Amino acid sequence: MATVTFDGATRIYPKTEQAAVDALDLEVDDGELLVLVGPSGCGKTTTLRMLAGLEHVDEGSIRIDGKDVVDLAPRDRDIAMVFQNYALYPHMNVAQNMGFALRMAGVAKAEIDERVRAAAKILEIEGYLERKPRQLSGGQRQRVAMGRAIVRQPRVFLMDEPLSNLDAKLRVATRAEIAALQRNLGVTTLYVTHDQVEAMTMGDRVAVMKDGLLQQCDTPRVLYEDPVNAFVAGFIGSPPMNLVAGVVESGGVRLGSTLLRVADGVPSPPGAAVTVGLRPESLFLAPAAEGIPATVSIVEELGAEAFVYAQLVSATGAGNGLNVKGNIIARVEPSTAPRNGEVIHLGVKEGSLLFFDAESGDRIRRRGE
Amino acid sequence: MALPRRHAIQVVALVILLFFTAFFFVPMIWLFLAPTKTDGQLLTQSPFAFGSFHTLAQTFHRVVTYSGHSVLTWLKNSAIYSFGGTALAVVAAIPAGYGLALTQFIGRRLLLSITLVVMIMPATALVLPLFLEINKLGLYGTIWSLILPFGFFPFGVYLAYIYFSSTIPRDLLAAARIDGAGEWAVFRYIALPLARPIVSLVGFFAFVASWNNFFLPFVMTYDSSQYPLQVGLQQLIGSTASFNPANFSAGSSIVVLHRPDLAMAVIVAIAPVLIVFLFAQRALVSGMLAGATKE
Amino acid sequence: MTVPAAAAVPDGRASARRGNWAAGKREHPLAGSSRTAGYFFVAIYVALLALLGIAPVVYAIYLALSNSGGFGSSFVNAFNDYRFLPAFEHILEFMGLWLVSQTILVVGLTLMLHNLAQRVGAVFRFLFYIPGALAGAASVIVWLFMLDPSASPFAFVLHWFGYAQFNNTIAPGNLPAIFAIMAFWTGAGGWIVVMYGALNNIPHELLESAQIDGANAFKTALFIKLPLIRKWVVYMLVLSFAGGTQLFVEPTVLGSAALGVGVSKYWSPNQLAWFVASQYDNFNEAAAISVVLLVLGLAIAAVLVWRGRLFEAE
Repeated sequence: MATVTFDGATRIYPKTEQAAVDALDLEVDDGELLVLVGPSGCGKTTTLRMLAGLEHVDEGSIRIDGKDVVDLAPRDRDIAMVFQNYALYPHMNVAQNMGFALRMAGVAKAEIDERVRAAAKILEIEGYLERKPRQLSGGQRQRVAMGRAIVRQPRVFLMDEPLSNLDAKLRVATRAEIAALQRNLGVTTLYVTHDQVEAMTMGDRVAVMKDGLLQQCDTPRVLYEDPVNAFVAGFIGSPPMNLVAGVVESGGVRLGSTLLRVADGVPSPPGAAVTVGLRPESLFLAPAAEGIPATVSIVEELGAEAFVYAQLVSATGAGNGLNVKGNIIARVEPSTAPRNGEVIHLGVKEGSLLFFDAESGDRIRRRGE
Repeated sequence: MALPRRHAIQVVALVILLFFTAFFFVPMIWLFLAPTKTDGQLLTQSPFAFGSFHTLAQTFHRVVTYSGHSVLTWLKNSAIYSFGGTALAVVAAIPAGYGLALTQFIGRRLLLSITLVVMIMPATALVLPLFLEINKLGLYGTIWSLILPFGFFPFGVYLAYIYFSSTIPRDLLAAARIDGAGEWAVFRYIALPLARPIVSLVGFFAFVASWNNFFLPFVMTYDSSQYPLQVGLQQLIGSTASFNPANFSAGSSIVVLHRPDLAMAVIVAIAPVLIVFLFAQRALVSGMLAGATKE
Repeated sequence: MTVPAAAAVPDGRASARRGNWAAGKREHPLAGSSRTAGYFFVAIYVALLALLGIAPVVYAIYLALSNSGGFGSSFVNAFNDYRFLPAFEHILEFMGLWLVSQTILVVGLTLMLHNLAQRVGAVFRFLFYIPGALAGAASVIVWLFMLDPSASPFAFVLHWFGYAQFNNTIAPGNLPAIFAIMAFWTGAGGWIVVMYGALNNIPHELLESAQIDGANAFKTALFIKLPLIRKWVVYMLVLSFAGGTQLFVEPTVLGSAALGVGVSKYWSPNQLAWFVASQYDNFNEAAAISVVLLVLGLAIAAVLVWRGRLFEAE
């Protein structure tokens, strides 16, 4: 059982200017499943590999149970890792793959067999112990990779996008299994993914990274309800939050020619440029003349719900490379779904608006938030 | 009656291909038929006629018993030099290719560049300098004067380097390191078992290069008892009547050989390499052209 | 000729390209490895390289320069040797014939084979490739037979040229052509395999789109395939040139079947170097000649490695 601490950990690749991971401070509690999430190139995998000892730490320290491991070789860190492509030893059968770490540690053969069998039982792969990796399906390989990790009973599990090579259906089933398994075993786990749904469903806490910088680390609910900046707001949630450029006026925010009334107080003095965050699920179809007018581009009917992709009639989208064209997504009841090309009016649920600085993207908190 | 132009071109292409097939392959056929005939039959019969098994046996017997079974001695020498050199080449090249591809050390790039240069440079360019050096070191006339140079095989190092850097995912080695393997264990338990194809490929190329080498053993050996087959063949030419009649003045004690005997000796000399060429051809070509085969 | 060595090179290229893919897009090549373990793995090879690759070169240069006649006098002696220039003329003539015919024929034959059905092409390639097993003295002996008008299956060709006897065929003026034929016979098959591999690296879509653009087989070969394998042709040419300067086996073995007529014992530069070393114990002049050849080979190799970008050295 262990805690993991990143303390100003920095990785700068040779011949590059920008740090791949920039002064990361992060604490993983004992037994916790912490998910690192972010777009590709955000530094999440580098972070994981730094903890594994596969990547050099240029500055700062990484501690497991309070002990600095920066100068330890991977094999001395008592960690196990599940790789994206599983990295199963192709010339060894499943049992040998799972037992390799124990063999390296000089564990007696009988005990290796016993522990491999026990792990295989948990993962329901006892039937394949004699097979080579190439004789297994993708899902089975994934289980073997998991088995190889749990058989060691390490202090920390590292998982690098372990589900990305599975098809969509299997991925959903497996992510629940992994989360349940992790909770049963109670082993501290750092889990990397680019998929925010995976992050939200699996993580005790989720750390969102971008450009080597940690943006926010908190429980899935807090990330969703209380993002610290426009990036996190836009990254978390599916479909993502709408970010629209606006100008503060007394009593509301002007989006193009439409004034959006804000009953619970405006974020900034009148005249300030802000980015307004609107969750698709906070929008509803309002009577004409009341909401924000938008022209429907596409309607996605998913059965239980429908998503309306529309273009704001008079407003422009937010800067920061987000939503430049003024697109907006709204979740509506399938029975009330509009048709393509129709002009609709979107109302906003009370108290669901978020405001961000138009320049920096930082959250502007109003009193009481 | 004019053929369509398309067909005319195809016919011309076919004729050219058949011509070169004859050029490349007729000598091989001839070589294998020659020992079945007597020297006289060689002149009178069609080049593609088969003589008799009886004659073949006689030819074989003459070659083997020539000059106190010299051919067997040469065969043994060839085997010692080639297998010794090949073993050394493999033992040196496989870890070196691994080291160059998957480990990190100061001077790695330099070593790689030197390896490439020495590999491309014709090996024969080093023969005389090697002779001078071996002479100086007092190794002249020992088996080491051949086994050591045969074991120095930069091309094998390059093959192993390419193999390790291209076919072994780095995550596999990372996984082993996380699993507690040290540098030697990573090589021993992960890289080496996966390197089996390249071990045989390097071994094969080293063997062929050593077995077929003429210049180096020609320079390094001075007595018939040390010759490998390649050099021995040259001595056989000297004993072949039709190529060197001057050597066989009346009363000469030199054993006279004839053309079929010489052909037989050539077959004995090339047999090991030819067998590998024939039976491992698929593996060889696929090894040489991994990833480049037409679907 | 070192055809097996040459033949395997495209492999490196092709699989190395695959390798970049296999290794993944992220760049973390030597992660977690020790910084000194590498020395251990290359140790045996480095020892061999030093002893058998570098030391002989250094020693040969030392010998060539340290003549009692004064600094550089071995080179002067070598250049002034009446046999020195003719030896180089011989191999130049040989290489002129060999390189031109090999380039045209290997490229032409490969392009033809590439138009055949895969299986048929494979049979031809195999037949062309097999003589490669006979490098060295064996192939020279086979050609002794082929050039002997009394026994050769090609006797009718020899008779056309008016050669009735073996020593007619191996007249000194014919030697460059004879050595060119021998070298082509053993080496061309390997190169055809190489070129064929290079042609197979051309994406199918490219050839199909050329067809749709209206190119026939001949024009596709000329305008699409040939330019795309050009660097391999250059590579073959340069490597063959380097190998050709080292000619030794063919004249030596042919010389031992001389029938009293003249293949001289110093027909090629390598033979000359060996001749002065073994007959006169003049190691200094031998070293000087071999250094000249060595510099030629080294220069060509260095140009290929550093300028050619043919090899995957990262």
